[in-house]
Amino acid sequence: MDQSYSVCGRLIIEVENLVKHYGEVKAVDSVSFCVEEGEIFGLLGPNGAGKTTIMEILCGLRRFNHGKVMINGFDLTKHSRKIRGMIGFCPQETLLYDLLNVRENLAFSASLYSLSSRKFKERVEFVSTVLGVGEFLNRRVEKLSGGMKRRANLAASIIHDPPIVILDEPTVGFDPNIKREFWELIKNLKSYRKTVLLSTHDMHEADEICDRVAIMDKGKIAALDKPHVLKKTIGGEPSIHIRVKESQKRKALQILGEYKSTVIDDEIRIFTVNPWEIMNEMSNKLSAQGVLTEKIEIVDPTLEDVFIRLTGRKLTEES
Amino acid sequence: MNSIIGIAVKDIKTFFREKGTVFWTIAFPVMILLLFTAIFGREIPFNATIGVVDYEKDSFGVTASIISGLNETGVFTIRDFTDKAEAMEELNATNVRAVIIIPKNFTQKLYVSQASLELIVDGTNPDVSRLIRDGIKTFFSEFYKQFYYQNYGINYTEPITLYEEVAVVGQQIGYKENIVPGMLTYPLLFSSMVVSTGAIVFEREKGTLKKIRAAPIHPINMLFGKTLAALFQTTVSIIVMASLAIVLLGPRLNWNAPLLIPIFFLGSMNGIALGLIISCIGRAPQEASNAATTIAIVLQFFTGMYFPIDYLPTYMQQIGRVIPMTYAAQALRDIMIRNATLNNLILPMLTLTISALILYAIGVLLYKRWVEK
Repeated sequence: MDQSYSVCGRLIIEVENLVKHYGEVKAVDSVSFCVEEGEIFGLLGPNGAGKTTIMEILCGLRRFNHGKVMINGFDLTKHSRKIRGMIGFCPQETLLYDLLNVRENLAFSASLYSLSSRKFKERVEFVSTVLGVGEFLNRRVEKLSGGMKRRANLAASIIHDPPIVILDEPTVGFDPNIKREFWELIKNLKSYRKTVLLSTHDMHEADEICDRVAIMDKGKIAALDKPHVLKKTIGGEPSIHIRVKESQKRKALQILGEYKSTVIDDEIRIFTVNPWEIMNEMSNKLSAQGVLTEKIEIVDPTLEDVFIRLTGRKLTEES
Repeated sequence: MNSIIGIAVKDIKTFFREKGTVFWTIAFPVMILLLFTAIFGREIPFNATIGVVDYEKDSFGVTASIISGLNETGVFTIRDFTDKAEAMEELNATNVRAVIIIPKNFTQKLYVSQASLELIVDGTNPDVSRLIRDGIKTFFSEFYKQFYYQNYGINYTEPITLYEEVAVVGQQIGYKENIVPGMLTYPLLFSSMVVSTGAIVFEREKGTLKKIRAAPIHPINMLFGKTLAALFQTTVSIIVMASLAIVLLGPRLNWNAPLLIPIFFLGSMNGIALGLIISCIGRAPQEASNAATTIAIVLQFFTGMYFPIDYLPTYMQQIGRVIPMTYAAQALRDIMIRNATLNNLILPMLTLTISALILYAIGVLLYKRWVEK
C-alpha cells in the first residue's frame, strides 16, 4: 500500500484503512489511498468491487465502520457538512428534474449550496463554456438527448464550484463518440485545478484520463499507480493475439504447444519475452499445417491484463 | 434558508408543469362537491342528543313521562338541564342538537289545551335540524293525542304549540352552506397529505434525494422545503375550491379570513405531517401514494367533511373525535355558519396545534432515522 502515498503534491483526499460492512458482507476492506490536488484519480474495478460505496462515504451519504477519511484537511466524521460543500458529486444516474429546464435545475442545485445570484450567474457562464450546456440551458430536461442530460448532470454537480469532483461511472452506457467527448470534459476540469475522483469499470477510460488508478477487487485495492506503471510492472510483456476459425482452434493450440498460451474469448494469446521475433515463425507454422489465421498482432499490455494478472479474472466479465 | 426555498420553489414549479396533477387537484374536489351535494341532500336516520329544561316537574309525572317517552323513541338521547342558560351553553358547544323548555304550569295548561313548549334547534346543519324538528313535533302530537284520549276518552288531534327558534345567527342555512365548509376540509386532508407523501418518496425513487443529501444542508431543511411547497399547493387547492364553490353554489357564508387562515394552516400542517410519516414508511411511490389516498378516503368519513358525524354509529363518532381533522372541519363550520369568534375556536386551534406538532415531530424522527440508515 506504499504506492497509495507516492505523490508529491498537496493531498486533498486521504483515506486510511477504510472499512464498510453491509451486514456480514465486507463491501470495503481496509482501503487506503490518497489523491493529490488537481489529480484525476480512478477507482477501476468490476461491479461490486466497492467503488460506489467508497464514493458515497466520501460524499457523506454513507457511514463507515472503521478507518479515517480526511478531505482537504478536514476529518469526515467531524466535519461532514463542511466537506459536503467542497465536493461535487455526480452519480451514474441522471439526477435532474425532467419538468424543469436546465437553468432551473442548476438554480435548484445552487440553492442547496446557498450560492448568491451573482455567483450563480458566473457559474452558469462557466459551465456553459466548459461543459457546453449553454446551447440548451432553457430546454426542459425531458427534451434533452442522453449526452446532453449527462453534461447537464455534471454541470449541476459542479455549479457550486467545488474543489473536488466525484464522478461515479461517468460514461456508463455512452456510445464511443460521446464517451470521448465526455473524457475531454473531465480532462478540462483538471485544467481548472479541480481534483477528480472517478469510478469506472472501463479500462480504456481509466487509461485515457486518469493520472493514477486504484484497481479494486472484492472491496480491496489490488494495485495502485499510474496506468503506464501498472501496465509495465504488472501487465507483463506484450502478447501475440491470434484469431483462427473456431474449428481450427484446437489444432492451432497443438501447433503452438511449445509456447505459453491461453484462450481468451475467441483469441489465442501467446505470452513471450520477445514477440516481434517469433510472430512470423508462428504464422508460418500455422500456415504450413493448413491453419488460416484471421488475425495476428502484437498487443501491449492493458489495464485489463493488469486486472487479469492480479485477480485471475477478466474485468469485463463481471461488469 | 436558501436551500429550503430552493426545494420549495423546485417542487412548486414541478407541480405546475405536471398538467395532469394540476387538473386533478382542481377537478377532483369539484366533482366531489357536486356529487355529495346531490347524494346527501336528503334524510338519513340518526340519533341526536336533546337537552330538556323541565321548569314544571309536576307531581302527576306528566313531564317525566314526556322525557322518558322522548328517550324511548330511539331517535333522541335526553339530557336534563336545570336552567335554560346551561342548556344553551351546551347547544352552542354543539353537545346537544336541540333544547326543549317545559315551562311552569305546563300540566295545568295541558288539561285546558293551552300548553306550549319552547324548542330551540341547532340550525348549523339543515338536515339535522329538520330531522330533530320533525321528530319532536311528531312526538308531541302523538303524546297529546294519547293524553287527551286517556283523560277524556275522545280523540283530539291538535298538537301542543311549539315555539321554535333556530339557534344560528343570520340567514337560513341550506345544504350548500353546510357542505361548503366541509368541502374546504378536503384540501387539508387530500392535497396536503398526498402532496407531502409523494414529496420524499419521489425524490428517493428518482435518486434525487442522493443529490440533496450530498449537499451541505441539514436534513431538516428538506422537510421544511417540502412542507412549504405542500402548503403552497394546499393553498392553491383551497382558493380554487372556495372560488368555484362561490361561483357554482353561491353559499351565504361568513368568510372570516383572520379566523379561517389559522384553521386552514393548522389543518394543512396536520395533513402534511401525516403525509411525511407515510412518505418515510412507504418504500415505493405507488405504495405511499396508495396508502395516503386510502387513509384520506377513510378519514373523510370520520371527520364530518361531507355529512355530520351524527350520522355515524356511536363508536365511529368516537373515532372521529380523536382525529384532528374533525376539529378543523367543525371549526370551519363554526366560523362560516355560526359566526364563531376566536374564543369559540380556542379548543379546536389548540387541538390542531398539538396534533400538528406531535405528527410533525414523528415525521421528522422517521425521516432522520431513514437518512441515518
